[in-house]
Amino acid sequence: MLTYVVRRLLYGVLTFFGITIAIFVLVHSVPGDPVSFYIGSHGMGALSHAALDEIRREHHLDQPIPQQYGWWLRGIVTFDFGTSFINHRPVTALIAEKLPSTFMLNLVAFLVAALIGVPIGLWSATRSGRTSERASGVAFFLLYSLPSFWVALLLMQLFSVHFHILPLFGMTSDDYLDRGLTSKVADRAMHLILPVVTLAYAQMAIYARFSKSALTEVIRQDFITTARAKGATSAAVLWHHALRNALIPLITLLGLTLPYLVSGSVIVEEIFQWDGIGRLYFDAISTRDYPTILGLSVATAVATLFASLLADILYAVADPRIRLEGK
Amino acid sequence: MWRITWRRFCRSKLALVALAYIGVVALVALSAPFLAASKSSPIPFGPNDVDVANRLHPPDTQHRLGTDELGRDVLARMIHGARVSLTVGLIATAMSALVGSFLGALAGFYGGAADWIVSRLIEIVLCFPFLFLVLAIVAFFGPSIWTIMLALALTNWTSEARYVRGEVMRLREMEFAHAARASGARDYRIIFRHLLPNALAPVLVSASFGVAYAIVTESALSFLGLGVPLPTATWGSILSSAKEFVEYAWWLIVFPGLAIFMTVAAFNIIGDRFRDALDPRSE
Repeated sequence: MLTYVVRRLLYGVLTFFGITIAIFVLVHSVPGDPVSFYIGSHGMGALSHAALDEIRREHHLDQPIPQQYGWWLRGIVTFDFGTSFINHRPVTALIAEKLPSTFMLNLVAFLVAALIGVPIGLWSATRSGRTSERASGVAFFLLYSLPSFWVALLLMQLFSVHFHILPLFGMTSDDYLDRGLTSKVADRAMHLILPVVTLAYAQMAIYARFSKSALTEVIRQDFITTARAKGATSAAVLWHHALRNALIPLITLLGLTLPYLVSGSVIVEEIFQWDGIGRLYFDAISTRDYPTILGLSVATAVATLFASLLADILYAVADPRIRLEGK
Repeated sequence: MWRITWRRFCRSKLALVALAYIGVVALVALSAPFLAASKSSPIPFGPNDVDVANRLHPPDTQHRLGTDELGRDVLARMIHGARVSLTVGLIATAMSALVGSFLGALAGFYGGAADWIVSRLIEIVLCFPFLFLVLAIVAFFGPSIWTIMLALALTNWTSEARYVRGEVMRLREMEFAHAARASGARDYRIIFRHLLPNALAPVLVSASFGVAYAIVTESALSFLGLGVPLPTATWGSILSSAKEFVEYAWWLIVFPGLAIFMTVAAFNIIGDRFRDALDPRSE
């Protein structure tokens, strides 16, 4: 077990270097003077040559490329992603400020998607071959193919414009601060509904498909036939033998979902004007705020790396076949 | 083997409907310059013809799917938008299939260090939220149809690479591969003549999903205002302008969105049914 974890961690460290090198190379292949990364291309004309040289020295741009990479990496491991040149605040502070609202949105969406999707998927696996199974399979696919930005617009059109029951966008109403506690909570919840639905429906389809194929895979195996042969009822076979084995692969989804969630957040937060990470990134892209773009890219990639490490280790804990594979 | 797969694929009515739909969209896209160009064409508007008197006009007999905020015919713009969607979907996927198959074949055939490097590369790409990478590439290198296709290919080659790697690993131990080696074939000949053609089916499955991904992501980029530059008509850009008029112009939302959804769903269904047709256990 320990060797497995250590090996996995070492791979993780290598991947971390890979991630940083990939971002560094991407940024350095962008046409234009790298100084503009630190002050913004609009500020360049206003500065004298001496001032530009000063900035180059300050950001180590006068040094060879490998050294530049070293300085940049040092910043990253100490959580110093530089300063946004749009509002001149540390990128780390910006991320910390926007993270809670994105986290809340995604957590609720994840719970909704998992709590509905997994049971539906498991249920449809037990009805293999019947019409309801085939129909649900097609339904998952159609749901998964719906573009989220379209669904968001339709939901807004229907529930906000037509029926006036849910707010069009934003995180709170204008009079939020004057309200009592229960009214505040209710207001937040109302603003959550449409973004959560938009984020959750496609995930739900993915979880349903995934858990369906996992359970179908298990049901085909010999030990299930054995359990049936010794006379266990089909409910007992399902609960005691099949389900436990089918749920283990769901752990891997943990590592795979994070980048998917963040991508979804960009679109959903932009449409519903939700003040979170996705919108921060999109605004940074629109204003060419390089330090923020870089900081967020590194931060999310590293977070994903941690999530997938955690998923792999949990998987090995849950399934002895994995950790014994190398022996 | 292809004939059996095709017969099994045809057993699914849904898959045939999807295939027929894609055929129709492709035909419409190809004939767009004749279908919707000027007063004499079947749809008497070009994609950028402005009808100032009829701005944001709901669907009627003249403008079948209504007009946008500049008075442009939505149907004409959607017909031309099909060209963009299909071009981006097919070319981006072809690029990622080429790169993915090549790297996957190297990893699967040589194993060892080659496999290790490709696997780490895949792991690195998968750590990034795909939309972050796509947005960054498009923003850094300027939005054009080529940077968009490149960005989509860069984020999507990993699935092809994983499929091909697995297939090649399995195939290289089969008798025909050993026979080719024994008769003196060089590595590249074994890979490209003997192994890759046999790994084509899983690549096609993955490519079908890839086209769906590319089309929906290109539309998302256009929707966010970072897609193919205006005034080129794309399905995403019509939806993008619909954002401003969500309160009354329902036709700007419903029709282009339906086009994106149905095309994406068709490619996803084709990929899924094709995969089932290849899987002998699905009987």
